[in-house]
Amino acid sequence: MNLPSGTLLAQSALSGLFIGGLYGLIGLGLGLSWGLLHVINLAHFGLAFLAAYVCYQLASVGGMDPLATLAIVVPLCFALGVAMHALLMRFRVSPLNSLLATFGITAIIEAGIQSVWTADFRKLESSYAAQKFRIGELFLPLPELLTLAIAVALAFGIWAAMRYTDLGKAMRALAEDAPVASAFGVNARMHALLLAGVCGALAGVAGVCLALTYTLTPAQIYAWVGVVFAAVMLGGLGSPLGPLAAGIVIGVSEALTMAVASPSWAPIVSFTILIALLLVRPGKT
Amino acid sequence: MLEVDRLGAGYGAAPALWEVSLAIAERELVCVLGPNGAGKTTLINAIAGLLPARGGRIVMDGRELTRAAPHRFCASGIAIVPEGRRLFAGMTVRENLEIGSYLPQARRERARSLDYVCALFPAVREKLDHAAGSLSGGQQQMVAIGRALMARPRLLLLDEPSLGLSPAIVLAMFDAIREVNAAGTAVLLVEQNVAMALDLAGRAYLLEEGRVVAEGPPAALFDRPELKRAYLGHDPVR
Repeated sequence: MNLPSGTLLAQSALSGLFIGGLYGLIGLGLGLSWGLLHVINLAHFGLAFLAAYVCYQLASVGGMDPLATLAIVVPLCFALGVAMHALLMRFRVSPLNSLLATFGITAIIEAGIQSVWTADFRKLESSYAAQKFRIGELFLPLPELLTLAIAVALAFGIWAAMRYTDLGKAMRALAEDAPVASAFGVNARMHALLLAGVCGALAGVAGVCLALTYTLTPAQIYAWVGVVFAAVMLGGLGSPLGPLAAGIVIGVSEALTMAVASPSWAPIVSFTILIALLLVRPGKT
Repeated sequence: MLEVDRLGAGYGAAPALWEVSLAIAERELVCVLGPNGAGKTTLINAIAGLLPARGGRIVMDGRELTRAAPHRFCASGIAIVPEGRRLFAGMTVRENLEIGSYLPQARRERARSLDYVCALFPAVREKLDHAAGSLSGGQQQMVAIGRALMARPRLLLLDEPSLGLSPAIVLAMFDAIREVNAAGTAVLLVEQNVAMALDLAGRAYLLEEGRVVAEGPPAALFDRPELKRAYLGHDPVR
């Protein structure tokens, strides 16, 4: 086996860092929903892709700046997140059943996307995509940089909100013991809907970042599920920073594997890490 | 202040409480006695909104709470120290106390309430930034009482605060409860420790199989055959 050059390794690590940031960004809302709302929300992926297509539509056809579409996509996804959770609460869906119910919702979203935008590949052409920064031998594309910056900012923002605001503390208290938190005046229903809306909005942001970087096709929804689940489980359910850190670890190790061995080995790495860590520290995830 | 009228409640298919009626006036210290399974915890949880009532009425200051959403109970001046403490174990002691003062009127008094709780339980002050789950049983009980006091309640509900604690800590706990009551907060106390509870309380109810079987001042209740029957064979204090 020939070792690739240092530049190639560094560029691979960098692209792994970028995709890891996106894993973390998608995993952020998924993990919060799982850990705090006890909903394993597969529809999070569907919602992110719906957001990506809406962004594509507004930017490619409507001529909006891709980042400006956040002003439409985020409120839309917030509302969809709230509506979906209201539905799950209405039928008192258990965590395991939430997996099935949200899988169904994802299939509906996929079909909806397919009927509107067809199964063809869609690529958002924006002025951002052409811009690259150069540091020495390394290229830093702007869309990826933006994605990573947004992922880091949101993860730390939510971490701080959960740690330092009364609202965030109330969310954590509800996740630990909802009846007791309610007995001290925390409105469990209102907080759950708000948090579901925030998770939806996070899916919206992730979707815009997806559209900036990736070619979209409806079936791609499922391509992200496995590795993002791994990031969330490694990072810890309900933790805002964990999925980002775990996502970056997975992203970088995948990219290095692709550079050193071959691309087909990449998925093996993420799940080997997951299984190894689950063996070493069971109960922590 | 609080009137409970023919309250029914329970878990699953089995009712644990049948038509329990009781009343607590401002500044009173009332004790609920009864053997295990008599429905004491069910009663206190229903009054705090932890468990929905299935029948009857809960009225606080003339306002009906029976069908109110759980988070409405605290705003009417009720705060609970639940059975088994039920602290938010993953959060710090300070955060637990902050959740106690979550409602706007309590939040405005948060700094003063925190000082009050720390003065009442000096051990709590040293542990403010520790995870609540890492504390000893006695310290956790103090935090649980502190959390309820942070809500600035006019009626404090205490469910077996002495359970599993050492005698010295139990004494300190009861001193604190006496002090809180003397400062003007009414207390409804559920306790297995009959002698201590009757020593503390101005009035007591005896619960058996989900019904009130006797009520009155401690001295009168102490000689009732119902009490002896309820606790026959074990007197946990002496």
